[in-house]
Amino acid sequence: MPVNLQSRVIDLRRNLLALGALVEQRVGCVIEVIRDGDVDLARKVRAGDAEIDQMQLELEGECMRLLALGSPVASDLRLILTAMRVSNELERIADMCKGISKRVIRLVESGNYRYPPALVQMAEAALTMLRDVLVAFSNEDIKLCLEVRRADSYVDGLNREVVAWAREWIEQDVEKSGAAIELLAVSQRVERLADIVTAIAEDTVFLVEGRLVRHGAE
Amino acid sequence: MQSDASTTPKPAAASHAHGARVEIPLSAPVPGAAAGTAASAEIAIKVRVFSSWYGQFQALKSIDLDIPARHVTAFIGPSGCGKSTFLRWINRMNDTIPGARAEGTLELHGDSLLGKAVDVVELRRHVGMVFQKPNPFPKSIYDNVAFGPRLHKTYTRAELDELVEHSLRQASIWSEVKDRLHASALGLSGGQQQRLCIARAIAVGPEVLLMDEPCSALDPKSTLAIEELIETLADRYTIVIVTHNMQQAARVSDRTSFFFEGRLVESDATENMFTKPRNKQTEDYVTGRFG
Repeated sequence: MPVNLQSRVIDLRRNLLALGALVEQRVGCVIEVIRDGDVDLARKVRAGDAEIDQMQLELEGECMRLLALGSPVASDLRLILTAMRVSNELERIADMCKGISKRVIRLVESGNYRYPPALVQMAEAALTMLRDVLVAFSNEDIKLCLEVRRADSYVDGLNREVVAWAREWIEQDVEKSGAAIELLAVSQRVERLADIVTAIAEDTVFLVEGRLVRHGAE
Repeated sequence: MQSDASTTPKPAAASHAHGARVEIPLSAPVPGAAAGTAASAEIAIKVRVFSSWYGQFQALKSIDLDIPARHVTAFIGPSGCGKSTFLRWINRMNDTIPGARAEGTLELHGDSLLGKAVDVVELRRHVGMVFQKPNPFPKSIYDNVAFGPRLHKTYTRAELDELVEHSLRQASIWSEVKDRLHASALGLSGGQQQRLCIARAIAVGPEVLLMDEPCSALDPKSTLAIEELIETLADRYTIVIVTHNMQQAARVSDRTSFFFEGRLVESDATENMFTKPRNKQTEDYVTGRFG
């Protein structure tokens, strides 16, 4: 198939944002799973992961085809490189959603599902970050990317609250330590999810300006 | 436009094994004050407010550019943008075109290349040229390479043999032709002929090699051989290459200059030009959105 780079780069961007929208929806579901202990919804999130994996593979394949056949440069090259990374990062966020759902199911079914408010706040903050970063990507908005990066520390703070809460729970009832550790695994995944969103924000800076701002670089 | 200083200086030029090369004093490194200037490298060719005309038609408009010594600089741009015209001014090839004239500063190591006082034959010994289509003389391989040096100086047979071998080795073709030096150059493949033309150009000890789409008539393997040769030669020569193949510009050059409608739009380290050009026209051109 002949490579019409310009139209295929436009499609790539659109498909990446479609994947982003799907992952955003999954994170929204995960908030309900955490808040309501909704096992049915958690099972749906787990089952839907294959669809996201497939979309990610298709996007990555298209990126490789465009790199090999389209000889992209400048903004086209940056978009393709960014799409490779971001599609992978979105897929990992979906994996986090799957892992959170799995643990909530286990906790609910064991009859030991409790959580502090900070956990839901964390998930909501992570969802806001994801929404913002997708808008920033779509609009090539560097300012918003930097705001997303800053928001990550708020999520980290909430995670520390969850850790303190779990420690207290264990101290009060040592028999619940298994459940508390499971809950910490949920919290850790939400925190990791926000880290991945931060990486997408940094990728978006590269997309727009060609600057690498990972690992704390300004 | 202000260029950055990311061009990596290369080692100083190796002295030629054969004598006769006139040493032109090198100017001190200059700050990148003008558009298209390489801020940190030693400058070979300095261009300021340079314009040229064919009769009434203005082909080049107020070009400011520094071409660093012993680096490869690529000129890109759509057909008719002035890049070949500019290349041909560097060794005064435009002198043969009726109505061609130029204004401004065009200097090689501080010496003006314009004006009637310039000895054009001597200039072309310092500034060699390789053309789009290989153009060996209908002579032997040996005589093609020896032709230029014989014009400038009397050599003993041994000296000439050494010079021919040295030039052919530099052009990465010695091993392919050493057993048939006295066979006709016209029997070589296109890629071999082009490398022979490069050997012929460097046999007179130039400082600058101008290449006007040197691979456009060659197959991919020959193109690769020429590109590898360009990389090798860049340690010793200042190379300016005009190419329509942007991947080639990206592969072989240290700096790239984009011309459009007679103007120099942007000049920068090649890496920047092909990953994050500063100018929208450059971006649109290198991504194929126009031109």
